[in-house]
Amino acid sequence: MVNLQDLKKEVQKILKEGKIKYFIGYEKREDEPFAKPSFIKKPEDVEKLTWNPTCVHNLARFLVFEKRRKASEKEPDERPVGIMVKGCDSRAINVLIQEKFINREDVYIIGVSCENTGVIDEKKLSKKLKNKQAQKIDFGEKDNFVVTTNDGKMKVPSKEILADNCLECKTNYPVVYDVFLGEKIERKPEDPFESIKKIESLSPKEKYNFWKEQIDKCIRCYACRSVCPMCYCDECVVDSIELSVTAETTADEKAKKIIWTEKSPVSSENFTYHLVRAIHMAGRCVDCGECERVCPVDIPIRLLNKKLEKEVVELFDYEAGFDSDRPPLLSSFKEKDPQEFIR
Amino acid sequence: MSQNPYMPKLAKIIQIKVEVSGERPIKTFRTQFMNKNEFSFRSGQAAMVSVFGKGESMFSISSSPLTKDYLQFSILKMGRVTSSLHEMEKGDIMGIRGPYGNGFPLEEWKGKNLIFIGGGIGLAPIWSVLQTALGKKEDYKDLTLFYGARSSNDLIFKKELEELKDKIKVSLSIDVEEPEWDEFVGFVPQNVTDKKPSPENTIAITCGPPIMIKFVIKALKELEFNDDQIYTTVENKMKCGIGKCGRCNIGSHYVCKDGPVYTWAELKKLPQEY
Amino acid sequence: MDKILKKNSLSQWIKKLESYTIYAPVKKDQVWEYEIMESPDNIELDYPNTVLSPKKIIFPQREVFLEFNRSDENDLEIKEILPEEKPTIVFGVRPCDARALTITDKVFRSDIKDIYYSKKREQTTLVGLACNTPPSPHCFCTSVGGNPYSKEGLDILMTDLGDRYYIESITEKGYKLINSAKNLFTQPKTEDKKALEKNRTESKKKIQQQIKDIDKIPPKLNQMFDSPFWDEQSLGCIRCGICTYICPTCHCFDISDEITSTFPLQGKRIRTWDTCQFPSFTMHSSGHNPRPDRASRLRQRVFHKFQYFVERYQEYMCIGCGRCVDQCPVGINIIEILKKVRDYESKSLHAKTS
Repeated sequence: MVNLQDLKKEVQKILKEGKIKYFIGYEKREDEPFAKPSFIKKPEDVEKLTWNPTCVHNLARFLVFEKRRKASEKEPDERPVGIMVKGCDSRAINVLIQEKFINREDVYIIGVSCENTGVIDEKKLSKKLKNKQAQKIDFGEKDNFVVTTNDGKMKVPSKEILADNCLECKTNYPVVYDVFLGEKIERKPEDPFESIKKIESLSPKEKYNFWKEQIDKCIRCYACRSVCPMCYCDECVVDSIELSVTAETTADEKAKKIIWTEKSPVSSENFTYHLVRAIHMAGRCVDCGECERVCPVDIPIRLLNKKLEKEVVELFDYEAGFDSDRPPLLSSFKEKDPQEFIR
Repeated sequence: MSQNPYMPKLAKIIQIKVEVSGERPIKTFRTQFMNKNEFSFRSGQAAMVSVFGKGESMFSISSSPLTKDYLQFSILKMGRVTSSLHEMEKGDIMGIRGPYGNGFPLEEWKGKNLIFIGGGIGLAPIWSVLQTALGKKEDYKDLTLFYGARSSNDLIFKKELEELKDKIKVSLSIDVEEPEWDEFVGFVPQNVTDKKPSPENTIAITCGPPIMIKFVIKALKELEFNDDQIYTTVENKMKCGIGKCGRCNIGSHYVCKDGPVYTWAELKKLPQEY
Repeated sequence: MDKILKKNSLSQWIKKLESYTIYAPVKKDQVWEYEIMESPDNIELDYPNTVLSPKKIIFPQREVFLEFNRSDENDLEIKEILPEEKPTIVFGVRPCDARALTITDKVFRSDIKDIYYSKKREQTTLVGLACNTPPSPHCFCTSVGGNPYSKEGLDILMTDLGDRYYIESITEKGYKLINSAKNLFTQPKTEDKKALEKNRTESKKKIQQQIKDIDKIPPKLNQMFDSPFWDEQSLGCIRCGICTYICPTCHCFDISDEITSTFPLQGKRIRTWDTCQFPSFTMHSSGHNPRPDRASRLRQRVFHKFQYFVERYQEYMCIGCGRCVDQCPVGINIIEILKKVRDYESKSLHAKTS
């Protein structure tokens, strides 16, 4: 079991030593038993840190904001940022390093193992509890969670409330770290692509109808894009203005920007956005599940990315985020890569 | 007649003049409505110009309300809509809706000296109020214009400025020395400090890049102008023009509706966020 | 005018209102939304809050203003597109969501009237449902001038008394609906009125979230514009835009041209929802951005709702529905932020006398 005190001690140590600028971890929300991202600058604040099954967020996203903030500072602090990651999150950091978006020296990684379980899906939990309110959710023995409500503690088998991506997890412990907490217990699912089997078995027309119904719900809030660590482009396909525009950008350059998708939340534009994003994530998505979790209208976005993940494994024998030295998939070519699609 | 505030009226371009060529081109467009209609406005007000298929952009009307034959806009090529405008030719059709904004309170300035201070494209909104004041010269005391740009090529209304020199005091400036330039060399605020206009019974009106306005106000304060003697126009990104879409708001104000003309006294009270 | 309607007569009443387009809360997968009701027999009014509020019926996410068409070189035509005649009813509106419409009315129907919003507002009848229990654990309507049985903005208010609804008709539009099925309604008896009283007292007590002394917040915010408080609070924000899109009072929008054909030039000018939380919202063409970071944008959201709007209209631009707190992916909680603002002590705010 991951010892929370060990985590707090380690973070306090590196903050006191001035080794890191600040630490990105999890703390409990004021009003609820769920976790939220926490930014610790002072050593005494480490008491706020927590580690429990509600720590779903992929904190690697905040490395993107850190990079932007550093770029806008005149005399930036060159020390690394401390960050706490789970298995999937650590792979996201590897992808950022692999794409040379950040350097390995920019992060001081405390890796945390999910051991026999993972993180929970809030919606599955409330369905399980029905009308009861959860007061606390903890890791239990073996592969159980312990949920405390008004009526006391209850043991919940993890399979019932684990997040969907945890059920297909490829790495339940971090693959890159400076400090490792917990035990390296391997927990690999039987079929890592179970969730897309049902849709794969549909006919093309049925597939289209399924996705149309889902994607018509989209309100283009772009939360899926905003939460993904790999969506760091300043010149995103869906924006009508590029965030990288400066005073030196010429009017012609601005005028030539192609509007790939309109702002209207209609089927055609929604499809374009989601499908383009899925293709841009091929070979980069680590299935942290955040995009699906944050969607306010419950679109199963993860499934699109999962399908492409499967294609990438089958065609190129490649999985994202395990090896930061390896060149990114879509910018490298091997002679034995399949070429049937070139006619 | 529809009361739809989002519906523009069609207008034809009757004249295009190149003011500035090169990397930061500025053109002056004179437009006429295709269907005769009453479009009355006050100097300092702006209109939303539509390039159908590209979008809309807010521009100050640089002609005077006393001119009834056309509406004039001076437009700097900056982005998508303005690039499209710069490619248009005489006879092309655009959309215009407006007028929006509060305009300059000329009636309150009767009997006073007026000093106009403009930089670059900022001369366009000033031109409207300057021409109106000239048209009713007997209502005001001395009129003075301070105007400058990066180089002599970047000055707009070059010919009109020459003609203006016969009527009122005009002091031009450019940022960097040039061989045949015999007027002031330096930034506009420096020119103002150099010429030391008196604040007595005077109103100063300034328009230009935000950084220029900041230093002009500083220069005027050093010359002992009061906060309510200094008028300026604020530029902000605008979409609806009627105070609803929320884009141009500064504090509780909508720049398109409550502004864009503000005295320094009023502007100081708003959050410094523009 | 007060009436009683038995619960099992509800679908009969709705059947009499066939000439209207009727919206009601509908559950799709796990999510409740206001959609056009398919069958009056399936109407379910016992629901937690919808994700999007009924604002989307009166102020839709996409609205066409005009169509443009260049048939030949010199001839450009524009055609105004006005909202169609479509008498509408929305059932099951929470009192807070109706209050939200009175707030957006202040922006859209004042000065230069927005005819799209106004037309839809005039032809929509809102049938409200009082909240017997707070639909969200983050409801705080009583702190911002509302309550679970508020009639503001509604045409009819229904209160669920178990096997029957207590119906209060508030406007002409509401009265018209009741009139169309007069025989289904009965007069309320004394015990109905007593049950209503009891219901009101109890539902108010159930609101868990309170912000005491909220009136201290607008003047306090005035002093906090440049405070580093906003940097700290916005560290977790991922600037996704969910809070503003689902907020019933948020109303910022964008106007853009959509081209359907380049030669000949054809297209539409449309309005879509926009959000101050996106960096591109205030970005000038030159690249200059008055709100370049998450801190200034979070500050804008809080200030707009609790200071700027109050200054202009003497009302909070927040109805306390708690949707933004429910849906924020990173736990940014406006209730907590407001409490922190209210209690914020800093040397830069006032000199301590000791």
